[in-house]
Amino acid sequence: MTAIPTTTGITHRPKPWWRNPYPYIFISPFYILFVLFGLGPIIFSLVVSMYDWRGVRPGDFIFLENYITLFKEPNFYKSLANTVYIWLGTVPVMIFLALVFAVLLNSKLVRWRGAFRTVYFLPVVTSLIITGLIFASLFSTSYGLANNILTHFGLEPVQWLSDSRYMKLILILAILWRWTGNDMVIMLAGLQSIPMEIYEAARVDGANEVQNFWHITVPLMIPVILFDLIISTIGTFNLFEEPYALFGGPGGGVRGAALVTGLYLYSNAFVNARFGFGSSIAWVLAAIIFALSMIQLKVGSRKIQ
Amino acid sequence: MAQFVQPALNSPAHRRPLMPRVKRLATRTLLTISLIVIGLAFLLPFYWMVVSSLRPISEWYARPMPLILQSPTLENYILLFQRADFGRGALNTVFLCILTVMTQVFFCSLAGYTFAKLNFKGRNGLFIFILATMMIPSGVGMIPNFIIMSRLHWVDTYLPLVVPGIANAFGIFWMRQYCQSIPDELLDAARIDGCGEFGIFWRVVLPVIKPALASLAIFVFLATWNDFLSPLVFLRSPDKFTIQLWLSVVSRQANIFQPHLVMAGSVLSSIPILIVFATLQRYFMAGLTAGSLK
Repeated sequence: MTAIPTTTGITHRPKPWWRNPYPYIFISPFYILFVLFGLGPIIFSLVVSMYDWRGVRPGDFIFLENYITLFKEPNFYKSLANTVYIWLGTVPVMIFLALVFAVLLNSKLVRWRGAFRTVYFLPVVTSLIITGLIFASLFSTSYGLANNILTHFGLEPVQWLSDSRYMKLILILAILWRWTGNDMVIMLAGLQSIPMEIYEAARVDGANEVQNFWHITVPLMIPVILFDLIISTIGTFNLFEEPYALFGGPGGGVRGAALVTGLYLYSNAFVNARFGFGSSIAWVLAAIIFALSMIQLKVGSRKIQ
Repeated sequence: MAQFVQPALNSPAHRRPLMPRVKRLATRTLLTISLIVIGLAFLLPFYWMVVSSLRPISEWYARPMPLILQSPTLENYILLFQRADFGRGALNTVFLCILTVMTQVFFCSLAGYTFAKLNFKGRNGLFIFILATMMIPSGVGMIPNFIIMSRLHWVDTYLPLVVPGIANAFGIFWMRQYCQSIPDELLDAARIDGCGEFGIFWRVVLPVIKPALASLAIFVFLATWNDFLSPLVFLRSPDKFTIQLWLSVVSRQANIFQPHLVMAGSVLSSIPILIVFATLQRYFMAGLTAGSLK
């Protein structure tokens, strides 16, 4: 680290900072901003979570009471259960579909691969709010596409967005539509690192394509799948815009059937202005996300070996 | 769900007996048809958004509502342009995007170049630190950030949406990757000519890293244009709203029937994104995977 060779072959020792301060000046904005708006707020948030802090003024110091209240709050468990439900409905499906799409759109046997990639990826550039609004319109009780098709066939219209049996299902559909292409592109990049010779060898041994998929592609893609799994899990716990737009606000719709952790945190912090309580939610969620990521990494790295 | 590695069908070296070739053709056709069906499913919500935006108000009330558009009209768009708040929201969003793009591209490329090309004590450690900050969950900082911003009297201004991200980890990482390909001779020559350190960056480095600047500008533009949570938390007065905020507010006015306006607004606010994406798709996909694989 002290001597870095240049292309001219001469190595020179970096000057001490007081003789050449420019590098430090050039990189300083990041560190200043990080202290002010990154690290500072995180430490501050731990402090806030121990106060009965409502609105902009700090209230009394109550130590862990916010956390105790949170663990007694039925809505918190409801939001956790809803989030797990959404996770089960989206993440495994999305990762499987993304891998299948990536393998197909990487295969020379498929025509118009570029066009398919673009179409499958198109939802990823759509704003999350618009995603929610489009699905709200598709499944609207009175003017939605789904109910129009049902009534054209003489069936009864369904209350997709206010019947708790369907609400989470619509949210899952919207998430799958919006995010599968994102995972697909990551998988496509991962596939480029699998050497072709492995497939050649398998073909000589008489393996078919489905066997290749399960016995070569999936095992070799586990690091990429793991990466996708972790970012999708984090994304599910931070889910906010899609249910906000689908169910008209941070309440999670009728009787909170789609109240996920992201909405729960937002509505406590910014609708009810309970900053102290909200910070305790944020910390508990961060701990859950951290624990889940660690478990996934542990299990995943065992699979890699 | 298959990995096909065989050379193209008509490659003479691999011409095989008739039956497998028929089978291959069948597989290929079946695959193409399934991919088209899936593609149509991906396009359906876009189709519905566009059709809804062109649907005259009379058709919205018809029961059953015709599935195929009877008389497409631009009246929803005209209504939209007659509303001052929509135009205002669009202008605000453009203004905000210009601010974030200009500042982030400048500060991230300055830091990225420094990490790639300048030699200083603690360089690797400082860079790894930046990468490590990407792992920190952002949700935890949201509430204290709001408290800080309100103490600074920055709430209901664009400052909270611009300042914290000016020099961000992803941008610095992205620019550093690209700047590593700048030849050292170029910088040494400028140094011998007596150019100052900032002058080298401004006059020599910036012109040669234009492609990377452009792709970073795209990511920042897309992220700002589509951002919802930060404007929702920090903006208060309707005349400062961004397009995404405007859409969500208009769609939530439950007592007024205006999904036609929401859909027309959604189409209009998607158009810049789609244009940028269509023209610069390559850069975009590269950026998406930059973080994931080394």
